[in-house]
Amino acid sequence: MSTTATFVEARTARRWRAFDWQLLLYLLLLVGFGMVMGYSANYQAIGGDSGLSQTVKTLIWTSIGLTLFFVAASIDYHWLQTFATPIYLVVLGLLLATVVIGRNLFGAQMSISVAGVDFQFSEISKVLMVVVLAAFLASRRERIGRLSTIVGAGLLVALPTFLVYRQPDLGTAMVFVAILLGMLFMSGAGIGWLSLLGGATVAVAPIAVTALEDYQRQRLFCFLDPSADPQGACYQVVQALNAVGSGGLLGQGLTAGRQNQLGFLPVQSTDFIFTVVAEELGYIGGMILLALFALLIWRVVSVGWGARDPFGANIATGLGSLLLFQITVNIGMVTGIMPVTGIPLPFITYGGSSMISLLFGMGLLQSVRVHSWKPTF
Amino acid sequence: MSDLEGTTTARPSRARFVAATVIAVLLFGILAGRLFQLQVVDGALYAAQAAAARTIEMPIPAPRGLIFDRQGRPIAVNIPAWTLYGRPADLPATKSARNAVLAQAARLSGVALGSLLDRLAAFRGSPFELVPLATGIGREAALLIAEEEEQLPGISVGAEARREYLDETGARSGELLAHLVGYTGPISQAEFEDRSAVGYLRDDVTGRDGVEASFEKELRGTYGSELIERDAGGQPVKVLERLIDPVPGANLMLTIDARTQRIATETLKWGLEAAGVAQGVTIVMNPQTGEILAMVSLPTYDNDKFAAGISAADYAAYLDDPTRPLRNHAIADIYPPGSTFKLVTGLAALDEGVTTIAQRWPTYGCYQIPDASAGQCLFDWNHQGFGPLSIVDAYAKSSDTFFYQMAVALGVDRLGGWAQELGFGEKSGVRLPTEAAGTVVSKAWAHAQGRQDVFTGELAQAGIGQNAIAVTPLQLLNAYAAVANGGHLMRPMIVRGEADGEGNLTRKYAPELIRRLNASPGDLRTMRIGAREVITSGHATNIGALRVPGALSGKTGTAEFGTPTSQGVLPFHSWFVAYVPSQAGTTDAELAIVTFTYSAVVRGNVSLEVVKYFLQEYFNLDQDLRREFQVNAN
Repeated sequence: MSTTATFVEARTARRWRAFDWQLLLYLLLLVGFGMVMGYSANYQAIGGDSGLSQTVKTLIWTSIGLTLFFVAASIDYHWLQTFATPIYLVVLGLLLATVVIGRNLFGAQMSISVAGVDFQFSEISKVLMVVVLAAFLASRRERIGRLSTIVGAGLLVALPTFLVYRQPDLGTAMVFVAILLGMLFMSGAGIGWLSLLGGATVAVAPIAVTALEDYQRQRLFCFLDPSADPQGACYQVVQALNAVGSGGLLGQGLTAGRQNQLGFLPVQSTDFIFTVVAEELGYIGGMILLALFALLIWRVVSVGWGARDPFGANIATGLGSLLLFQITVNIGMVTGIMPVTGIPLPFITYGGSSMISLLFGMGLLQSVRVHSWKPTF
Repeated sequence: MSDLEGTTTARPSRARFVAATVIAVLLFGILAGRLFQLQVVDGALYAAQAAAARTIEMPIPAPRGLIFDRQGRPIAVNIPAWTLYGRPADLPATKSARNAVLAQAARLSGVALGSLLDRLAAFRGSPFELVPLATGIGREAALLIAEEEEQLPGISVGAEARREYLDETGARSGELLAHLVGYTGPISQAEFEDRSAVGYLRDDVTGRDGVEASFEKELRGTYGSELIERDAGGQPVKVLERLIDPVPGANLMLTIDARTQRIATETLKWGLEAAGVAQGVTIVMNPQTGEILAMVSLPTYDNDKFAAGISAADYAAYLDDPTRPLRNHAIADIYPPGSTFKLVTGLAALDEGVTTIAQRWPTYGCYQIPDASAGQCLFDWNHQGFGPLSIVDAYAKSSDTFFYQMAVALGVDRLGGWAQELGFGEKSGVRLPTEAAGTVVSKAWAHAQGRQDVFTGELAQAGIGQNAIAVTPLQLLNAYAAVANGGHLMRPMIVRGEADGEGNLTRKYAPELIRRLNASPGDLRTMRIGAREVITSGHATNIGALRVPGALSGKTGTAEFGTPTSQGVLPFHSWFVAYVPSQAGTTDAELAIVTFTYSAVVRGNVSLEVVKYFLQEYFNLDQDLRREFQVNAN
């Protein structure tokens, strides 16, 4: 018994030797960075939430998220593969519930309130959809190059995408599509079919745009010419550009950004948080944040590269696609090279749902890492 | 272990990994490059744009210049006043919530809700501007509202300077000098549109009436400006820099002596009350310079009411008053001058050679109009006639028939020309608003009546200041002043110069000569002697006993106007104009006065009694020679 126990303990200990401490370090740095920026964004004395109460909330969410991170890391991720179908049903259920009983946030039904706390199920459904797709693509291992793989994966994603689009949450819908394309590409889907799907997406985009609400469409096109309607739909873009540019090389100093502190960035602690980073910490601060993101993605990629099986690798590529897409679109949006869509900046944007979901996803990644470690007896 | 076998095949292809890495690096590169462009390359540009969007140049009002009397007594000062403001953008969006806030503001400020709503509805600017809803609210109310500002979104109070008007004792009283000083009030929408280019603000004030209006430019000063940083809601957060310092308006010193104004007011009031009439004018002037020492037009109004924001009821009462208290009758209205005009006819007759000083002319009880049918004659006030008279005697006794003959002999052009020479028929140019020009007899006047020429009877009547002659009291006084000073028609002055904050003269405005009269010194002297004779032997001997320091000279006038009563009697105005040279005929008079009483239909000359009373008080004489009037029952 004791030998067995010792063996198990030893095996476990060895497995944990594979634990990616760098991944955890970058996550903690990013979360800390986000907390500091969130504090600054809410710093202004005049009315409303004090910066600190938001920081406390973020601390609580981070604690929950980190707990989930370690729980996910310690569970063998292969379990999830067997639960792929129920997980998919849960995703659909949550999104449907949001459409039916969701409550209004900036004009869109994006969250439902449980015991006074808002849950944006679309955030967790992104991570869960990565798992679902990873399982599907892993099961299609032998036929990965066929069109049916792409069609199947597309259908899997289509339903939840449609549901979030109806909320209407254009941002999350785009993230679903990005995850789908990224995972298909990385899992080895036929490049010809994939190009066709990519082309089809681009072709469908204008139709999707016409189906949008007026305000969404206006906001979408502001990046092409922010001066078109600087007081109306493009107000945020104009003010964001002014804020980012005002930061200069070194920034105006934490809590000293005039655009931020004077309230010219209406949602500065949420989707436009990067404007605060850029204004207050300057180009240098922005580059530090980009570097942290780059390091994180490097860790995600390296886990995928080292994964023992396609399911693990797919989880890594899915999460990597999610992160890369959200970072690019969010920062692209506040710097005026991408349309304005409601996509949070991972770990930085204030919000419990995103934080908890992403930390859980990173826990899964850690699990892939830990459970892919090859014992070298 | 199948899962161990899979380790080599689990990996995605190397090529796709490389491709993905390239894409990721590219995306991060684009973001980094874009940030470099925005922040490092164009950073200054965006910073400037951002600064421009959140900063605004705000005007700094210049303190309005103070007004002093000629002795340095403050008569218009600035005091803090509280204004209730509303910012439409910050008021609640729903009508009921908005009205609740306004009702609460109305309750606290003690202003009618309706008036707040009217002001708000009348506002035509940006919803982010402050709309003055009520001015002159009490200090207590202002503090109360300031305390409750949290509960009153969009409502605020602000302190600014407003005018307070003082009398000669320094007491707050707006009646003594209302017509001269005027008042300030909010500018209208049309005025704002006209003057926004020269720095007027939507909620600005401007001078109305009096010196406040005519010296608006000097009193206003130049507004400065400062750069203010605003938050996204448009609320000012802090002052970034002072761009232009405001230049305070000039402090003005009036030519008016408030003490003299008081005497002139009280003595005129006495006369009007004693005669049972409402309207009258007294003007006191220094003939040497044209400086107006007092100018009273009764009834007056309270300019301090306007400064504090006059109520609609008070304003309507002023407008509906038939005696028109808001008008300065001394300059804005024209009246027949009656016999006082004989100065003009006499001077013209002498200078044009119609008569010599020694030549005696017959006078009549009724003067037959030369080209009219027999029996059409013009009465002398003395229906017996005086017998033959020289010009000095005729002037002293105020013989009408003598001056009918002078006027007819002069003709329309020469009589009218001399009236103009003495300043009639044109504005004197005193720097006060609403001055009237008056009427002198002329062919043009006849044309305006639809006739070729003036009837001879009209010409004769013009010679005694009736019919085709209408003057402002100021014009009449100024003409007498010009004769009194030896022939200098001076521009009447209301402002003596500029002063420091304590009321010491710092810059004197020079008196201005309109023209030297084209009359010989001898003829002028003859008229001055005549004016002295009026007091010593003539028509106004009862004032001659006053021991004024000098040789009081002057002329009475009674001017009929309007339509006859049922008894066939015309109502009449009474005039008395006088000046005080050191000796008879000299040109050194420093005091001239005219009093005019409107429709003073009583026995005796009310104006003469008023001037008498004024001189008693002005020179502090130990005499009271005032006579009772018999107030006529008709």
